[in-house]
Amino acid sequence: MFTEIFLFELKYRIKRPATWIYFGVFLGLGFLMMFATAGKNDAVSVAFGDSSRVLANAPYRLLQLVVSIAIYGTLIISAIVGNPVYRDFEHRMHPLMFTKPITKFGYLGGRFLGSSVIAVMVLLSIPLGLWLGTVSPWAQPDKIGAFNLMAYITPTLLFIIPNVIISGAIFFTMATLWRSMVPNYVGCVVLLILYAVASGLAADLDNKTLAALLDPIGTQSFEEITRYWTPAEKNTNLMPIGGLVLMNRLLWTAFGLIILGICFWRFKFTHVLSDRKRKNTLTPQQEDLLLLAEKEAEAKEEKQRASGQRFSFPKVALNFSAGQTFRQLLQLTRIEFSSVVKNVFFIAIVFAGMLFLFLMSTQLGKIFDTPVFPVTYNVTSLLGRMFGIFMLIVIIFYAGEMIWRERGAKMNQITDAMPVNNGLFFASKLLALMAIQVLMMVVVMLTGILIQTFSGYYNYELDLYIKVLFGEKLIYWWLLCVLALFVHVLVNNKYVGHFLVILVYILFNVAFPNMGLQHNLFRFGSDPGMFYSDMNGFGHFTGPFAWFMLYWSGFALLLVVKSNLFFVRGTETAFKVRRKLAWARFGGSMKLLTGAGAVIFLGTGSWIFYNTNVLNEYTTGKETEKELVRYENTYGKYRHSPQPKIVEVKADVDIFPESRAVKVAGTYILKNKTKTPSDSFHVQYVSSITLSKLEFSRPAKRVADDKKLGYVIMKTDQPLLPGDSLAMTFALESKPEGFTETTGGTQVVYNGTFLSSSFMPTIGYSEDAEIGDKDTRDKYGLPHKPHSPSLYDTTTYYTNPLSADADWIRFEATVSTSDDQIAIAPGYLKKDWKANGRHYFNYKMDVPILNFYSFLSARYEVKRDKWNEVNIEIFYHKAHAYNVDRMIRSIKKSLDYYTKNFTPYQHKQVRIIEFPRYQAFAQSFPNTIPYSEGIGFIANIDDKDPESIDYVFYVIAHEVAHQWWGHQVVGAKTQGATMIIETMAQYSSLMVMEKEYGAEKMKKFLKYEMDNYLRGRSGEAENERPLMLVENQQYIHYNKGSVLMYALKDYIGEDSLNKALRGFLQKNAFQAAPYTQSLEFVQCLRKATPDSLKYIITDLFETITLYENKASGFTSKKQSDGTYKVTITVEAQKLRADSLGNEKEIAVNDWIDIGVFTRDKKTLYLEKHHITAKTTEIEVTVNGKPFECGIDPLNKLIDRHPDDNTIDQAKQYVNTISKKK
Amino acid sequence: MELRIEQLSKTYSNGVHALKGVSLTMPTGMFGLLGPNGAGKSTLMRTLATLQEADSGSATLDGVDLLRQKEEVRRMLGYLPQEFGVYPKVSAETLLDHFAVLKGVANRGERKELVAALLRQTNLYDVRKKNLGTFSGGMKQRFGIAQALIGNPKLIIVDEPTAGLDPAERNRFHNLLSEIGENVIIILSTHIVDDVTDLCSNMAIINKGEVLLTGQPKKLITSLAGKVWMKEIEKPEVADYRARHSVISSRMHMGMVVIHVISDTQPDASFVQAQPNLEDVYFAAIAAHTTPVNV
Repeated sequence: MFTEIFLFELKYRIKRPATWIYFGVFLGLGFLMMFATAGKNDAVSVAFGDSSRVLANAPYRLLQLVVSIAIYGTLIISAIVGNPVYRDFEHRMHPLMFTKPITKFGYLGGRFLGSSVIAVMVLLSIPLGLWLGTVSPWAQPDKIGAFNLMAYITPTLLFIIPNVIISGAIFFTMATLWRSMVPNYVGCVVLLILYAVASGLAADLDNKTLAALLDPIGTQSFEEITRYWTPAEKNTNLMPIGGLVLMNRLLWTAFGLIILGICFWRFKFTHVLSDRKRKNTLTPQQEDLLLLAEKEAEAKEEKQRASGQRFSFPKVALNFSAGQTFRQLLQLTRIEFSSVVKNVFFIAIVFAGMLFLFLMSTQLGKIFDTPVFPVTYNVTSLLGRMFGIFMLIVIIFYAGEMIWRERGAKMNQITDAMPVNNGLFFASKLLALMAIQVLMMVVVMLTGILIQTFSGYYNYELDLYIKVLFGEKLIYWWLLCVLALFVHVLVNNKYVGHFLVILVYILFNVAFPNMGLQHNLFRFGSDPGMFYSDMNGFGHFTGPFAWFMLYWSGFALLLVVKSNLFFVRGTETAFKVRRKLAWARFGGSMKLLTGAGAVIFLGTGSWIFYNTNVLNEYTTGKETEKELVRYENTYGKYRHSPQPKIVEVKADVDIFPESRAVKVAGTYILKNKTKTPSDSFHVQYVSSITLSKLEFSRPAKRVADDKKLGYVIMKTDQPLLPGDSLAMTFALESKPEGFTETTGGTQVVYNGTFLSSSFMPTIGYSEDAEIGDKDTRDKYGLPHKPHSPSLYDTTTYYTNPLSADADWIRFEATVSTSDDQIAIAPGYLKKDWKANGRHYFNYKMDVPILNFYSFLSARYEVKRDKWNEVNIEIFYHKAHAYNVDRMIRSIKKSLDYYTKNFTPYQHKQVRIIEFPRYQAFAQSFPNTIPYSEGIGFIANIDDKDPESIDYVFYVIAHEVAHQWWGHQVVGAKTQGATMIIETMAQYSSLMVMEKEYGAEKMKKFLKYEMDNYLRGRSGEAENERPLMLVENQQYIHYNKGSVLMYALKDYIGEDSLNKALRGFLQKNAFQAAPYTQSLEFVQCLRKATPDSLKYIITDLFETITLYENKASGFTSKKQSDGTYKVTITVEAQKLRADSLGNEKEIAVNDWIDIGVFTRDKKTLYLEKHHITAKTTEIEVTVNGKPFECGIDPLNKLIDRHPDDNTIDQAKQYVNTISKKK
Repeated sequence: MELRIEQLSKTYSNGVHALKGVSLTMPTGMFGLLGPNGAGKSTLMRTLATLQEADSGSATLDGVDLLRQKEEVRRMLGYLPQEFGVYPKVSAETLLDHFAVLKGVANRGERKELVAALLRQTNLYDVRKKNLGTFSGGMKQRFGIAQALIGNPKLIIVDEPTAGLDPAERNRFHNLLSEIGENVIIILSTHIVDDVTDLCSNMAIINKGEVLLTGQPKKLITSLAGKVWMKEIEKPEVADYRARHSVISSRMHMGMVVIHVISDTQPDASFVQAQPNLEDVYFAAIAAHTTPVNV
């Protein structure tokens, strides 16, 4: 029986066109993804961070692609495996089926297995499509490696087949027991939530394993296993079938089988035979009563007839006025609305969404696993983003339900023949769907308020909730409602409709931008972007947003009219007839609305176009690229043209926050520091700014003036001799005209201007402006260029990385702003005065600084303090006082440590200045540190929580450290430059943090640093470099730098290290070109290292060295004197990696920590041992009962499996048991 | 008042020629549309009920163009489709009230009164609070009638209303229809001949999209007087008789086959004259337009 049903299912499915359509769609998806990954094309391309190093058909990449496409496969599984039993109910076949002599096992098992096999077959099209992509003529040969069958089989075995069983079992069971396909939509949502929750959890390092197990699709376990793979490993390693991946797959498959078991247990043929309606039918008593009543009525009627009495209906007045039409509209809307709202699945989706939001809110704004205060903008943006998918599902699904409601109930012929205005049906559905969006926004708002309340945060800012949810988000969802209904009306097939709405959505959001239609005018519902900041509110974004929304509303109105014209009323479904009917309906009011829609659409469209493309320059990414190519081709020849350097900057900067305009009048003193006279001077400025004046203090003329690139060449009549100077005076003006296609400049804003020196003119051709990306350079026939100049090229020692056109400068600035704001620039406030309703500030620096400064202006609160003779000032937004004291404390502790261990502080003030969260960083300018409101001003640091990392303190300490590392010693612009600047700022702040919070806290911080480093190298697009040769790679100079410097400190001691650093600072601080570099720095570190440990300098800084350390077990014996003798078996492996991550094992000859700990984590023993073999037995005696032992237990060395460095008794016990088995 | 249909034609996109130049005139009172399944009755009714487009032809009622002035038609129309459903989770009273709003009964009090009266008349008053999903076929059908009667319709179109009803229910239904008065036009489509005999003052027989016959049932029956002959034969003989005579109908009676034959004269002595009824009219009309098939 089983076999027959199984075979029948197979045959039935194979004959269904849908099966082949799904197959085709996924084959196409697979092919397209490979085409985009490996293809040579501009139209579509998928960029992975590591794409230039990982082959398109590398086992890792194939796995990644299969998994990402297979997520959509869930829908197909729902359609195929969910359906087979439900089908019998749907077609009312079940009485026929169930009266046949079939067994439950045969029926359920056959149907399930048959459809599962089909689902697997359909999804096999993914690897097939990917493979086809690799052999297609468009695939670039250098991106395709040798064919490896296993690379296709592994993802199939690990993901496709288990997922069919898992999701299939869930869908099959739900549809079978509920006898409806609708629970499956909810099931999809639940799986999606689990998937999303798992990826949310994974952000926290401690949850990785949990996240990997929780994800029903398996993506997280895959991520967890491969997260540290280097490009080389990605190219060769197959996914190991074992570990977390296998556990996840087994766990979920078991879950699926249990669900199937429940299905088998609960399913009854008899139960099935009775119709579902029966539950609702009348009881026998009621039926009797009914019969009786009927008889009575009949008798009465007979009597009436006999007496010749005729029945007459009460006369009613019919009203077809506009008022009645309106009442009808309300009535229809109410019915549509309540039928959705009362729908159990709607309620389920909304609750699932709320639950999801609650779960996600625990990760709100976390940095280093440390939360922020749930300020309203953070909550609304989280909720808006996270709830979006639920909104989308509800819109797509219920748009279809609504359009088909009357027809689904077979009531359409009745209502369609009623004297109801043609527009009412569609209008009522649209209004109801829109009202549902309002309802959902209310739900989101309440959820947000609950989340805030639960975290003990009561500053709700209801006005902001309303502005964001009902002002910004709602209109977008409304637009989408129109689109979804429009598609459903036009397509006139519910299921195809759902599919097409998704397709149209993708078309607008993904395909159009990739086809060159990037402009927001082409992308339904899109706008330049709204970006709320507590400091600047919605800033200047609201105007353009409103214009775009008006534009799309006009378009939506046209869609509404068209939907209404094509709305199916009556039984005509042929498109030809519908078109004819549409013309017939195209009467006065429809024409009026079309006119209105067209006027709004075209009118605002033209206005927007005028603003974005005429008043402002609109450039696509490609045009920008071409301009950069032109830049290189035209001016690249001046690369080595000797240019003078700036030695003094004087600037009058007028900031006009209300109009977001800025005017600069400045003077540079340029000095010829070369040995040759020069007469041509290259001045560059940002091309979107007007250079209204450029004059030299000696006769000169402009020989080139490229306004598009902002490039001017001045030629002086007399050459500037070596050692001579000239003054360059200039004026810049920037005033926004209209609005732009993107959010536009966020430098000068209503409140929170942050203008850095990159706004100012620069001298000389800039190689940094050239295109760096290898593939792009290939495309334009430009030769490859190194990421960074070679460390061994001494000619590069003459510029510093902060500005190529200056060494040390004298600086003075007068900054003015509006009356109510404070303007800030580096230097000391010499004078401030008010004139013409404006506030002027004159700042002057008393020591030479690097050519790296900024101007800020906002309405600030100021908190002042003092450390010795140094003034501390925090300029912050009024509502953000949370961490101001913490910042001051950090500044003081930093100054303490740095002045004591390094060199004196060169300034007499430290200022922290908050700026809007358009950018999330802090940056150290001379005695001036702008700090984004997004990264710490609202951090919620619980000092009592041992898990919480005070990253506000850390970031401040890091930035203050830059006053030494960066602003005292800067180094040359070459490989390794950021080791001196960033790694050392990291080290310095680590030390301040360690003093403040203790070594234990460092462990957690360094764990993040280690993880970020290992993941960073895994996603490296070009070459991983040793720290000494770092090419501005953040994962190296920050994350790896922290780990390595902390290890170095551990090896040679804090004092000797700091002594070496002090010596290095003293020698190189404020030096003029040539600058020092990492070669000298590492040499200095090596000198400070005792001979026995010199090898670590090579390991840490000059090479990429990794360890695979592991504790395999220990035994302990209590001695007669109460001490314990512990024998620990450890394994050590040392590896050297090249820039691609190819590893080579080298001999271990290292001093590594061996540790013994008690059950409550107290250290019994921690000493360095000389390890020289792969496996070593170590014997130590300790005063206490050992519970945990290990090698490098504090994870000071780079190790991809830090957790196996220690072993405790519990782990050991589990190991022995599993070995016995 | 008179509904005049002229040369109405309709071909579906799948090529089915559902109406072929149908012309009919319907006075007030009940008009029966008789025809086998697939004759085009429903197409005709849906077209009159504004739900479907005609390719050509016209239909007017009191100066209102039924094919174009849909809004006007709907204001005076009561329509009960052949197959219909209702929202299962709504009570009869609520849904009827909803329909009344859609039909333009604006006054709340009037609407309430009307709904109550309709429910009483259709004998659904006692179950008015019950969800429609719990209704039996007959109850649902009565609900359908109730909604068709809202708003004093001048043209009532009921498509196969008695299909699926038991004899008692059918009877009640007929009574109800006959109550509605002579001042409106009621078009009743059916394939049950007795429905027409019992109720209709005028009728038409259509088949394959064509009107075969139209007139008053009584007159049509009279026209066959003396021409219908009947005989009981054995089953195997049927084919033979069909070949030799114009057999209009045959039915089983106690193991024998009773055939009706149309003939101006007695075909032979074994035939006895039968009292013609509407069924004979119907079968005669259908038979006359069907090419005889020789077996």
